[in-house]
Amino acid sequence: MKHDAAASSSPGIVPGIPNRRGEKGRGRWFIYLSLAPILLLFGVFAFIPIGWSLGLSVFKYNPLSASALFVGADNYIRMLGDSIFIKSLWVTFKFVVIAVAVNILITLMFAVAIQRIRTGWLRNLMRTVFFLPTIAPLAGTAIVWSTMFNYNHGLFNIVLTQFHMAPVQWLSDPHYALYSVILMTLWADIGYNIVLFIAGLDSIPDMYYEAAILDGASRWHSFWHVTLPLLRRTMLFVSVTTVVSYFQAFAQFQTMTKGEPFNETRVLALHIYEQAFSNSNMGYASAMATVFLIIILLVTLLQLKWGRTEWEY
Amino acid sequence: MHRRNRWFDGIVMLVLIAAGCLMLLPYLWMVLSSFKSNMEIVSGSHALLPQHPSLEGYRTVLEDAPFGRWFLNSAMTSIVITAATLFTSALAGYIFAKHQFKGQKLLFILILATMMIPFQVVMIPTYLITAKLGLVNHLLAIILPNLVSSYGVFLAKQFIEDIPQDLLDAARIDGAGELRLMVRIIAPLILPMLSALGIFTFMNAWNNYLWPLIILNDESKMTVPLALVYFNGTHMVNYNVVMSAAVLITLPVIVVFLIFQKQFIKGLTMTGMK
Repeated sequence: MKHDAAASSSPGIVPGIPNRRGEKGRGRWFIYLSLAPILLLFGVFAFIPIGWSLGLSVFKYNPLSASALFVGADNYIRMLGDSIFIKSLWVTFKFVVIAVAVNILITLMFAVAIQRIRTGWLRNLMRTVFFLPTIAPLAGTAIVWSTMFNYNHGLFNIVLTQFHMAPVQWLSDPHYALYSVILMTLWADIGYNIVLFIAGLDSIPDMYYEAAILDGASRWHSFWHVTLPLLRRTMLFVSVTTVVSYFQAFAQFQTMTKGEPFNETRVLALHIYEQAFSNSNMGYASAMATVFLIIILLVTLLQLKWGRTEWEY
Repeated sequence: MHRRNRWFDGIVMLVLIAAGCLMLLPYLWMVLSSFKSNMEIVSGSHALLPQHPSLEGYRTVLEDAPFGRWFLNSAMTSIVITAATLFTSALAGYIFAKHQFKGQKLLFILILATMMIPFQVVMIPTYLITAKLGLVNHLLAIILPNLVSSYGVFLAKQFIEDIPQDLLDAARIDGAGELRLMVRIIAPLILPMLSALGIFTFMNAWNNYLWPLIILNDESKMTVPLALVYFNGTHMVNYNVVMSAAVLITLPVIVVFLIFQKQFIKGLTMTGMK
């Protein structure tokens, strides 16, 4: 301990310093007493559940029958032939890829535009307007949006009929359902990334732009060759966190579509939940959760590998 | 900076303002729908504006639903979770940053590793454990798993490491105990980080949907987001009622946000938390 060394090197000079053993003893007690309850909580609600989940994935377990049957790798093999699981895997990837790509594209555009605003209050107002939806509960937001998507009296179909177009089954037409949920997710979520991108843009020193202008770079050039490369760290952070959080998107699917129509919106997070708590297939659901975990870890690792930056500024 | 092109700037500004209006549209829709009367909804009118503004929706919510109860449930659990998380994070962060003990590194890495685990992976065992503890359909079940936060511990450790050791030594020489040291010296120094952690912990606790959905099924025990979804299920037809409930739930959130806006934005960029 650093402070022990400091205290023991000058014994007797400053009165009132506890001797080495007393100090150390008290420090130990403090550490053990305060860490014990914290570690207990981490143990019971984090470490044990992770291990338990892995263990459960090789059992056939229904909480109602209360008897677990060891089935080895059967749950994993079953997944390969489970067309709904395969479908939900596909839907999850489709949702994540489209939503993340659109999210990053528009948040970057809006961030650049907002950051250019010279008037302070206007810039803050715009940022607030985009950020506002992120603070409300997503489940509540999803309910407001499902009435907007309603076929008979929803906002979108009112607008369409105003323009003499045929109304659309936003949430029950297999061609539109996933895109409707993506639209709602983006509305609810872009504020975060806009704020993060603005912060990233603010941190780029002006001198780089000045140098680019001296070299005769156009606005477009300096965006591609100055802004984007210098924004790489923000970009990496934003894309990793957005991908992880979109993989886990749940509330909007559970409240707006419940995975319907024809499982077109059955993302893995929803499928695992329903298998575990509606169908009581906890073993099988745990196996899917394990696959889910591996996918998320792999995707994150890949992103970190591709996005690594070698330099700082 | 580039020479400013007035036309370009104007177009960008117009697009931004249009997008901003679109962002506000759902709020407008929510408020307008909440003032529609039951008659109007039954008659299947297609107007955006309520034809005969009425407070029927609000009356139904406040009379039919234990609305105050839901708010209280959410407020109580979120406050306890936030206070506990701030305390445990600062304490564990302090120990990991300024003390040494056997297995410290490994323990810290283990705690960090749990940050990467999606809730879907641990929800089944967490449910089974909570059931074993006899806490199904109990508000304690909402609180107990959320008293510690791995990200909170990580943040606190990062920020406390920057505090000079001399300062702590000086306080020890003055006879300050460890706990006093934490409250009097360390907590004020990491206050910005603590307030960011507090804001986002509270928000996540308030907005959490999946865990309450799993563990609570009694209407009077529900927290706000779960209650709203449940309420939506029982009042499918009268969407004015549901929209009234949504307004009542969203309004305080917006007010709180507008008051603490600066801290929100600063906290987000400082911690990267969602």
